[in-house]
Amino acid sequence: MASVKVSNLEKAYGAIKVLHQLDLEVEEGKFVVLLGPSGCGKSTLLRMIAGLESVTGGDILFDDTRVNDVHVKDRNIAMVFQNYALYAHMSVRKNMAFSMRLKKIDKKTQDEKVKWASSILGLDDYLDRLPKELSGGQRQRVAMGRAIVRDPDVFLFDEPLSNLDAKLRVQMRTEIKDLHQRLKTTTVYVTHDQIEAMTMADEVVIMRDGYIEQSGTPMEVYDKPNNLFVAQFIGSPTMNTLECQVAEENGLLYAALDNIRLPLPTDRNLQVGQALFYGIRPEHLQVSKISPNTNGATTESPLTGSVKVVEPTGPETHLYLKLSDRDICAITRDRIEIQPGDEIYLQPDLSHVHLFDRETKQAI
Amino acid sequence: MSSRALLPRWLTSEHPLPWLFPVTSLLLVFGLYPILYSLWLSFFKRNPATRKEKFMPSYNWEKLFSDDRVWDAIQITFTYAFIALALQLILGLAIALLLDSDKKGYGVLRALMTLPLVVPPAVTGMMFLLMYDSSFGVISNALYSLNLLSPSAPILGTGSTALWGVIVADTWQWTPFMVLIMLAGLRALPKEPFEAAAIDGASSFQSFIFLTLPMMSKIIALAVLIRGIDLFRIFDYVKVMTDSGPGTATETLTAYAGTVYFKSANFPYASTVALGTLILVLLTATLFIKVFKVRF
Repeated sequence: MASVKVSNLEKAYGAIKVLHQLDLEVEEGKFVVLLGPSGCGKSTLLRMIAGLESVTGGDILFDDTRVNDVHVKDRNIAMVFQNYALYAHMSVRKNMAFSMRLKKIDKKTQDEKVKWASSILGLDDYLDRLPKELSGGQRQRVAMGRAIVRDPDVFLFDEPLSNLDAKLRVQMRTEIKDLHQRLKTTTVYVTHDQIEAMTMADEVVIMRDGYIEQSGTPMEVYDKPNNLFVAQFIGSPTMNTLECQVAEENGLLYAALDNIRLPLPTDRNLQVGQALFYGIRPEHLQVSKISPNTNGATTESPLTGSVKVVEPTGPETHLYLKLSDRDICAITRDRIEIQPGDEIYLQPDLSHVHLFDRETKQAI
Repeated sequence: MSSRALLPRWLTSEHPLPWLFPVTSLLLVFGLYPILYSLWLSFFKRNPATRKEKFMPSYNWEKLFSDDRVWDAIQITFTYAFIALALQLILGLAIALLLDSDKKGYGVLRALMTLPLVVPPAVTGMMFLLMYDSSFGVISNALYSLNLLSPSAPILGTGSTALWGVIVADTWQWTPFMVLIMLAGLRALPKEPFEAAAIDGASSFQSFIFLTLPMMSKIIALAVLIRGIDLFRIFDYVKVMTDSGPGTATETLTAYAGTVYFKSANFPYASTVALGTLILVLLTATLFIKVFKVRF
């Protein structure tokens, strides 16, 4: 196992810069997920760590040893590719033993290692099959088997679940996490699927346009997004972000959205007239069919939204609403009878309100 | 009522027959008919003195098996085909590997590589005839100056080197064909398994041996089959460059059939030799397809 450190890393293709002075540290044994939309540079960064792409500037260090110029075959890494990259003409056994065969490791050890990996991954019955005789999930397991038999310092995964169907993806997600918990190998995992990132990572690194926007534990980036991009990228359904302006009445600040007054948390440094994005996650909007004012709980005028679409998912119900011509989403776990066209009352949970400066889009 | 309704259904575009008719008739007229006619011809014995032909079905076929020149020609044809094929395959693959790059200028190199293919084989034969000329030929003179050859033993005039002389011309012309097929194959190979192999610790040579060759096996088998069949039918280079000589040192099966046809005017026996060549090519190709499991 090794730690991975990336410092001031740059990548350019001719005049086009795709990675800009990135700094990243992956502690030994950690599972770090690089997350971002297509074209953000996450795969390029992973391929640079692997040694499959050259480094334009900066350093890559494995355990404080600079590996910029170390050939890919000498980095002792293992990589799982999106489209498996299996050797089509070799059986599962030969695919998994290939690296050991190259190192001229004795046949007995090869067999033992392959057996160990195949039993972990449930591939015992498929060892003599060709990759084309396997399902997508089995192929991906073979690719992982090929990686784990090598006992690598670092595991690299490049969107390994993207080619699988939704059910298999969830299953493989658990398997990869379980594998990491057993082997404790330092892992860098690339995905554009934020659910994958949230469920698997010890640390999530969110990238956009060749920059790292934020890194932290899944709950940190979810609860405390640094900026509007991270706030909207993480979470499904996405965070509601409403363009507001800070206003004051009777010494109390509120966010004005057309004629609506949105309550503001009191722990932020806000100026009257300040333009901001008011962010609230769908599950932090309390939903009710009865006005909160009727029981005298609050004196403020309640927010009302008109329901457009109701999406029951089983454990919770997603409500897509119109709030003063803005489309927003609310999630409720209560079994309330709501129909499209209903007017419902919404109450934002003030402890989970996110505010972003309209200009800089940074969190306030 | 439209004119279409007046036609029987098998003459309308809804029936496969009108669609198949043009190509089928071409095949029948230019493919099957000559073969059947040759077969029919091979059942006659020709009397050179009277120029009469007599129906004797087994005469030419028995002669074919007892004719020493046929066996010599088979040996020469196999030698020629095997050496030329090996050279063209190895060179073709090697050049394709060198040209398999997206770097600037490689596209032009790939285009230039195909130029020999557009030269007519007879012209290629003439070119090499000039280059082998013992007094002014550039190849001969280069070999003389390297002491690899003596002016007293010209390349095409010496039994031991004449076949090689023809093979070189064939290889110059047809290696680009191999390069084209190999390049198409190489460029269609997926990139990821090679990256996975590099991560697994494979050197470039190991990647070539363990990945490129097995992944290219079907393409290579197909290229060998196509070129192999072509090489068995070698006629033009031999005719232009050596006319089967010196003696019969470069007399391949088709060259022998040509000699029997044009020089002895023994059309029935020439047809028999030609059909014998066809049978040999079919058997060899079928054996190759079975052994190497070639799939189309």
